[in-house]
Parts: sequence; structure tokens; C-alpha cells
Amino acid sequence: MSPKKNQAVNEFNQQVKPVSLWADAWKRLRKNKMALFGLWLVVAYVAVSLAAPILPLYDFTSQELTHVNLPPSLKPAGEVALGRLQKRMADLKEAGAFREDLKTEAAFVQAEYDKLTVEIATNPVHKRVYILGTDYLGRDMLARTIYGGRISIMIGLVGTITAVFIGIIVGAIAGYVGGRTDNLLMRFVDILYGLPYMLVVIILMSMVPEGTNSIIVLFVAIAALSWLTIARVVRGQIISLKNAEFVEAARSMGASSGRIIFRHLLPNTLGVIVIFATLSLPSFIMNESFLSFLGLGVSAPSASWGTLVSEGVQGMELYPWRLLVPAVAMTAFLFAMNFLGDGLRDALDPQSKNRT
Amino acid sequence: MTEDVILQVKDLKTYFHVDEGIVKAVDGVSFNLRKGETLGIVGESGSGKSVTNLSVINMIPNPPGKIVGGEVLFMGKDLIKMPVSELRSIRGNKISMIFQDPMTSLNPFLRISTQMVETIVLHQGLDKKAAKEKAIEMLKLAGIPAPEKRIDQYPHQFSGGMRQRVMIAMGLSCNPEILIADEPTSALDVTIQAQILDLMKDLTARLGTAVILITHSLGVVAGMCDTLCVMYAGRVVERGLTSEIFAEPKHPYTQGLIKSVPRLDQASGDRLNSIRGQPPNVIDLPDCCPFYPRCDKAMDICKRKYPAATEYGNGRAVSCWLYTEAK
Repeated sequence: MSPKKNQAVNEFNQQVKPVSLWADAWKRLRKNKMALFGLWLVVAYVAVSLAAPILPLYDFTSQELTHVNLPPSLKPAGEVALGRLQKRMADLKEAGAFREDLKTEAAFVQAEYDKLTVEIATNPVHKRVYILGTDYLGRDMLARTIYGGRISIMIGLVGTITAVFIGIIVGAIAGYVGGRTDNLLMRFVDILYGLPYMLVVIILMSMVPEGTNSIIVLFVAIAALSWLTIARVVRGQIISLKNAEFVEAARSMGASSGRIIFRHLLPNTLGVIVIFATLSLPSFIMNESFLSFLGLGVSAPSASWGTLVSEGVQGMELYPWRLLVPAVAMTAFLFAMNFLGDGLRDALDPQSKNRT
Repeated sequence: MTEDVILQVKDLKTYFHVDEGIVKAVDGVSFNLRKGETLGIVGESGSGKSVTNLSVINMIPNPPGKIVGGEVLFMGKDLIKMPVSELRSIRGNKISMIFQDPMTSLNPFLRISTQMVETIVLHQGLDKKAAKEKAIEMLKLAGIPAPEKRIDQYPHQFSGGMRQRVMIAMGLSCNPEILIADEPTSALDVTIQAQILDLMKDLTARLGTAVILITHSLGVVAGMCDTLCVMYAGRVVERGLTSEIFAEPKHPYTQGLIKSVPRLDQASGDRLNSIRGQPPNVIDLPDCCPFYPRCDKAMDICKRKYPAATEYGNGRAVSCWLYTEAK
């Protein structure tokens, strides 16, 4: 129904398209440059992580001892390694004029150099290009960072999903049923809150017998203790909504409790849940990194950003790329996630509607 | 005469246990509702009108509220003793409700279609498509223009009057036997009130639905209701046919109420009559007539005991010592 040509468009003859909260929020999110940038970066990370097996990456577990600790370079690995050996030989020659003990090392390096010059033409391994360098076992940092990101993001996602899932159920039941059930559940939450989170996770991780898949244990440990906040948030929301007239109306229409909780109440709290989820995902990644940094996280040959950083720290003065590459990758992701979370909060919270 | 009574409330008592004591919000209310009839319940704020009706479909928030006695017989079955699962198939299907504030009684998050279809699918066993058609038809009956477009919109895109129309359409979508309207027009302005009341009257007459109309306004009652219950402090003080009560109000409270309505056909310049005092606090009320402190005709016995209802036949009954004495 388009207005006739001679008719002025005013507020009475326009058709308003029904806009859901999500469409409205998306409209507001789009105006927020930083959040949008964050969103695209997160999408890119997720896309790369998902596509990792089909990307032209070197195997992130393959060790190449001649390529140990190569710096980032666009040249083939063989050339870079040769150049390094040459430099080393020159250094040794210079120093060897005064010191006898370096003679054997010079001979060793010379042998290496000769071997490599022969191999470089025949062995395709030396054609590899490590644009982000290699680590202390000659593994490609790019591949390791991407695969590390896969595990880190997965831990973040699984942690968030479990936390949100358990949190919603406990919070919704406590809030809706109220009374003694509420009391019981919330005191349980309080007790768990009282436990030092990291300590419990560390104890859990160290109690696990050898040979169990440490990633799964890490999932369980992080998820088991992380639903507390969301349970409280959801409970509060449900309590404030459950006496709303539309809930009473739904009950008077014969809706069951489950239906009221999941159909009428939870959608109203979804905004808060989404915000919480996006903001807690980075904190899960941080926690995992922290544990991995302490050596309690993901075990070799898998790696997460945390393990990569902790490996990188060990040689950070000589081989800074080993620390910088995973650290920058992780920081950029966490930044993006936080910007996105903040943006979503502004977009979904009606109170902040007019602020931007 | 009792043949076509579909809802019979007998000596209903709903108490709220609060820190200060027991609030007898509803204390021995009885009334009958016949098929297709419109029953008005009037009374001041806090006289137990809404609680009575929430008790009828057993929706008193518990705790703190509890139905401590009485029966609500719907088609011969006691709704109070009925298990919740069975009760759910009656709520919205056989007895539905319209609330006071249309601005808050629709879920702001869901499209109108979702909310209407939900009810219809639940009770009528139709598939979603048929249910939506039914919903559109009901919206059309309720006077919503372009219902097939409007149904996919959200509550915030409707005005207050429109939302109340939607609520009415939703309430009547399963052809209920009884529609309970809890002050359906209090939140609307006067012109819309008239429209909504006309709509309700028209639709319920067409569908043969009995209505319980809760209201403050005697004008609304006079225009809408066949029978009337006047409530005061949790009790029905007078009930009977609307025409009879308006012609000859017996209870002093009813008399006061009717006198306090401004009328166009009476001399202006006089002060409007009012009932002096405030309604009593119903916490731990003694067994007296709760109206006696405000009553011009109060007697000694009023302070000691609550009068039993004096029946006059034809559903007319008054609870006042004036008439107990006379009989």
C-alpha cells in the first residue's frame, strides 16, 4: 500500500513493518563501528578455525629439527636456515680466533651447513615458507596458532554453552518455583561461590589420572563451576517477570509452567543471557590460558593459545615471535569479543537506547 | 432455574497469610452464574473482587494466598479440588480471563499471532495454520482492521484499546463458557471504554458466553449486567437482578454507592453524596459487620456479629441486620 503521489507522507498513512527485538538490536549494533569490527573479527576467527583442516597449512605437529626457531620470513625455510648457519659460522670464526673450544662447534656447524646445501635441492621440506616462524621443535607457528585457537575458542564456546545451559535451568527453576526450592538452590550456589574457583579447577585437573583426555577434563572443570553467575542473573530476571500480567494471562489461558518458563519468561531474559555469554566467553579463554600457562591445561601435542604463550615465554628474548604470535592472536580475539559484548549490551538494553 | 447454572460459587474463602496476620480477602462469597448471563461484581478497591475471580480458576498465588474453604462448581465439578493438569484444560478453554491493563497483559516479546495461536493449538487441537486462520477470524470479530497483517505484529505496535480488543479476541478464541473480565476498561479512556464494552456485550451475546464483569463503575454495571453482586470487605453484601437492585437498593452500602453516582437528571449545585470513612483494613477483622463504622443505620448488633444473608427469592439476597430483624 504505497501512499498516493499527491498525498503527503505523514505519521498516519505509513505502514510500519513489524520489528522484532532482534531486528531492532541488529539495527543498533550496526551503528556501533567497534562492535561491528569485533563481530567481523570474531566471524573471521571462527571461520579460520572451522576451515583449519582444509587450509594449506603445514601439520602443526610435524617437527623439523633443522627448522628450529626460525624467525618469521617469506623466504623458503631452507634458505632462512642456511642464512642463519652462515651467520653463525661467521660469528664462530670471528670468536674462534681466540678460543680453542669453539673449534668443535664450528666444525659441527660447518657439517650442518654442508648437509643442508646438499639437501635443500632435494628435500621438499626446505621449500616450506614459515611466515610466522617456527617454535623450538621446528613446528610452524601459523599452524600451531590456528590450531591453538581452535582449542581455545572451543573451550570458550563449550564452557559458555554449558554455563548458560545449566545456569538457565537452575536459575529459571529457582526463580519460578520460589520458596524452599529457591532457597536450597541459591544456598548451593552461594557455597560454590565461596570456593576459590581457580583452586578447585587446579585440584580437579591435578587429580585426573594419567592418560585421560585433558581437554575434556578441562571442559568439565571449567563448566562445572561457571554457571553460578548466570543462574543468579536468570533467577533475578525471572523473579522480576513472573508476576507480570502477561504471565498471569498466559496462566489463565491454560499454559503449563514449563511453557510459561520457556515460551514467555526466558525469551524476555534472552538479551541479558546473550550479553553475559559474549562477555564470559573471553573469560573462559583467559582461564584456560592461565591453566595452560601453569602447565595444567591442554597437553602436547595439542596446543591452545595458553600453552603456546607459555612455551613462547621460555625463549622470549631470543625468539620473540614465539611469544608474540599467539599472544597477539589471543589478545585480538579477546578484544573483539569484548567489543562485541559491549556493543550487544548497548544494542539489547532498551535503557541505553538513546545513548549512542 | 438451577438447570442452566454453569458456575456455582459456594461460601468461597480465600485468605492471605502475611506477616501482620491473616487477610480474609474473600470470606464466604457465594453466587451463581447462568449460561449466557452477565454478572457484575462491584465494590471498592480491596473488597476482594479480583481475588474472588482468581480463586474461581484457582490462580491465587500460593504462598501467601490459600483457598481455605468453599466450592467452585463448574458444570458440576469442583475446580478447587481439581488437579492442576485438568484445570489447565479448562483455563482459557472453558473459562478465560481478560485483565485490567492491556498494556502489560500481552507478552512484549512475542508476536500477536504466536500468543493467539498458542492458546488455540493448546485447547482446540488445531494445527498451526488452521489456528492462525481462526485467530485472524477472531481479530476480525473484535474489530481489528486488516487482521491478517496486524496479527504478525508485536504488542507495542498496538494502542491500548486495540490491545484490549486483542485480549478479548484471545479470550473468546476457544468459545469459552465463561469470560471473566477483571476491570477490562479501567486503563482505557472513556470513549474507548464504551467501544470495548459494546464489543464485549455484542460478542458474548453472539457466542452465548457468560460473563463475570468486575468493575468499579456502577454505570458500566447498569448498562451491561443482568445480575449484580455488591462486595464489601471480602463479602457479598447484596446480590440480585441488576434492575431490582437499582430500583430498590436494600443494603445501606449499596444505597450509598448508588447515591454517590453523579447523575445528569438531578439538580446540579448540590454536593455529591459520598460514603464517609474508609474501607476497613481486612487484616484480622472481627466477626462484625465490616460496614458498621460507616453506616448511618448501624445498630448495636452490627458490632458483634455478621448478619446472615436474607433471601428474597429470584436470587436476591442482602446481608444486613436491618432486614434480618424485619423478617
